Amino acid sequence: MSTLIERHIVSLLAEKDDRAISLLYENYSETLYGVAFKVVKDEDLAQDVLQESFIKIWKKADSYDASKAKLFTWLFRITRNTAIDKLRSVNNKADKEVQIDVSNVYKVGVKGIVPDHIDIQDNLDKIDPKYRIVLEALFFDGMTQQEASEELDIPLGTIKSRLKIGLRELGKIYGTTMSLLLILNLLS
Amino acid sequence: MKEKVKIFLESDILEKYLIGDASKEESQQAERYIAMYPEVRETYDELQKNLETFAKMYAKNTPEGLKEIILSSAKKEKMVSKRFYRYAVAASVAVLVFAGSSLFFWNQNKNLQEENTLVSNKIKYLEDNMKDQLEDMRNQFIVLNNPATKKYEVKGKREGKELKAIAYINPVKKLSYINVSNVPQLPENKCFQMWAEVNGELVNLGVIKQFDDKGKLLALPYADNAVGYITIEPEGGNAAPSVDNIVANIAY
Repeated sequence: MSTLIERHIVSLLAEKDDRAISLLYENYSETLYGVAFKVVKDEDLAQDVLQESFIKIWKKADSYDASKAKLFTWLFRITRNTAIDKLRSVNNKADKEVQIDVSNVYKVGVKGIVPDHIDIQDNLDKIDPKYRIVLEALFFDGMTQQEASEELDIPLGTIKSRLKIGLRELGKIYGTTMSLLLILNLLS
Repeated sequence: MKEKVKIFLESDILEKYLIGDASKEESQQAERYIAMYPEVRETYDELQKNLETFAKMYAKNTPEGLKEIILSSAKKEKMVSKRFYRYAVAASVAVLVFAGSSLFFWNQNKNLQEENTLVSNKIKYLEDNMKDQLEDMRNQFIVLNNPATKKYEVKGKREGKELKAIAYINPVKKLSYINVSNVPQLPENKCFQMWAEVNGELVNLGVIKQFDDKGKLLALPYADNAVGYITIEPEGGNAAPSVDNIVANIAY
């Protein structure tokens, strides 16, 4: 994702140009879908979340402030919050209604697995699970550090430090990935 | 100062802000620190980059057809907002029409209220007038029918020779009336005026109109031993009687 495309999308969004949605979808839908799925843990719900998020993104397009957040950060916040809200409303409903067994059979994406993501999946495995759990709890499960501490039975201080180290590890991975890609590009 | 930054970075406010979990106050604080301290800005940028990297690790293939659904619903949303705009215009027009008609009705209501006051005043006036007339009629009836009523024939003298009038006086009911039956022709600039002397004071009873007042009973103010006069006065009547011009007097 080059910043050029980012800037292009941002300017299209500001003008309420339809092409912005298409470009956003092409560049971010899979990551955002992954985020939504990680939160709601159901494909149908995640699709609803993605759809609702895009509508919100489209509606709030003119409120995006590039000086306050990167485009992805903004998209992430909207998607994550939509997903958390969705999860809450579903849970509320489930509390009221008779619990219906949620099908565990996930649809497999038609496009198949994109090779890029395998690399990243590999990268994901590179992060020490103890950091990953903390990052997932905070980023996707909508937990505060306090809640994560209670839920994971890890002291708050440890949560804090694992978050920092985890993010730093990510930076390292990101760095190596980027250098790897650079080397690959140079070789080819 | 640096200590403040350190404490801020050690808290989880920046992380919360990053993922959109910070409260309003925390968001404001985060935005302030990011703007003020380069090291906070740096950390925030790093966090943003890491978040994207981390989130990308969870990227998931989106089902086919979802793109079309999302694109079309976004377009619909655009239409809805356009439609909303149209509705807003329609609503504004409706509000204006409503305001206009309200003003119109309010005005009309005000006018009607004024008219209502006028009409009810008129009715009250008419009612009072009618009561007076009825009272007058009743008194006339009493005077004419009461056996105690005395009838005086009034005859004019001098220029008023042809003046004929009958006065009805009832000392029991303390009522007195006069019926002018014939009014002689006077020069154009003269008229007959009636007076009554009540308790030593002369009271103007008005001008006798030659035709209108013929055959009509006119009330006279009653007083014991009062005297009624008819004088010839300049046209339009006089403020005080011209004693020289008395053409008739009625003692009652």
